[in-house]
Amino acid sequence: MSKIGPLIQRYAKQELRNSNAIFSLGLYLIGITYLIYLLGGQNAADSTWNTLLWIVIFFGAINQASRSFEFESGDYFFYYQTVAGPKETIIAKLIYNSLYMLLLSGVAWALFTLFYGNSVYNPVVFALGLALGCIGFSAILTLANGIAERSGGNATLSSILAIPLTIPVLKIVSAINIQAIVGAPLEEVYEMIGSLFALDLAIGLLAYLLFPYLWQD
Amino acid sequence: MTGRFYKALGVVLVLYSLIYGLLTTVPDLPIIEQSIRNLFYHVSMWFAMVAMMAGSFGNAIGFLRSENLQKDTRSLSLAETGMLFAFLGLFTGMMWAKFTWGAWWTNDPKLNGSAITILIYLAYFVLRNGIEEPRKKARISAVYNIFAFVMMIVFIGVLPRMTDSLHPGNGGNPGFNSYDLDNRLRLVFYPAVIGWILIGTWIAALRYRIKNLSK
Repeated sequence: MSKIGPLIQRYAKQELRNSNAIFSLGLYLIGITYLIYLLGGQNAADSTWNTLLWIVIFFGAINQASRSFEFESGDYFFYYQTVAGPKETIIAKLIYNSLYMLLLSGVAWALFTLFYGNSVYNPVVFALGLALGCIGFSAILTLANGIAERSGGNATLSSILAIPLTIPVLKIVSAINIQAIVGAPLEEVYEMIGSLFALDLAIGLLAYLLFPYLWQD
Repeated sequence: MTGRFYKALGVVLVLYSLIYGLLTTVPDLPIIEQSIRNLFYHVSMWFAMVAMMAGSFGNAIGFLRSENLQKDTRSLSLAETGMLFAFLGLFTGMMWAKFTWGAWWTNDPKLNGSAITILIYLAYFVLRNGIEEPRKKARISAVYNIFAFVMMIVFIGVLPRMTDSLHPGNGGNPGFNSYDLDNRLRLVFYPAVIGWILIGTWIAALRYRIKNLSK
């Protein structure tokens, strides 16, 4: 378990060295937000604002997650297998990808606020929903990407596997976010936040239990 | 002997539900009227599908524990049979929706759940086709199968309860209880569910044997 910290550091270092990927992700976020702005997104109603934000985050996350096991392909796979066991690898990957996605969604929210003004009345609930959604989302994407990677590294396959699985998380998150936008207090969305948390826990546990079967040859 | 017994029982129960389902008297409810008989044919498809998928899930776990390739073939056969029931459930449901709600397709949590379930299992078949080596194929698809089944239960079992639905018994529409409790309906509905599950098991067993012979 002591290897998790160094593993996360290593993933972050790899990402920073490969600065091309970060720049393209940032450019995507700014470009798509500005495109929506040009097409009239500043006049969007609350539910449209929420939908647009989640579509931007969704494609950013799919793009980021499709490179999730980029450095573990081919011969590097054997190297990483000797460095750490599957349980440490999956925990490190889950934490790293969740943090990455939290950053991504935070930037997307900031950009949306910058261009269209902040239409969220209860930012605490909104941030909580966004954070829990990101964790569940990235866990599903990580496992789906692991499956796609081990079955021959096809980027389309990872989307095919992940997209239908992410919908329950997306449905609950967007329901919470709509409540947050209209300013519902925390007590009113307690139940939904609780069920989202339980779902995240279940997804994380499944990923943790199933990953060792993928991480062998 | 037991093999023959369950097949015969399945045939008898399904024939009974098909014939007696049309003959029995049903509660006279507005809008639904005689189409309530579709309960025997539509809802039993979903019960059979969940049973098949649960069998597929159980065999996927069994494969990961034992590395026995027979279990993988069983898991695939059951998932394929479950898919058949999913499509049948979808078509019978669309008929019913057209005559009671006025549209073939509505934005209802249960309909979305079943559509997404079909997408998930289609992805499972795509995944299987993409891998050559049998052992690796079995292991990777078992991992996806287990994950997919749990998410499917969340879709069709948990999510619809949290939102309003046109379907009875959920959200703001508790109407089903009044005829769910009707014993005349139960007398046909429960045998139909059991009968279709047995027939599904038979279809899956046949597919399993064909797969083994063609290897």
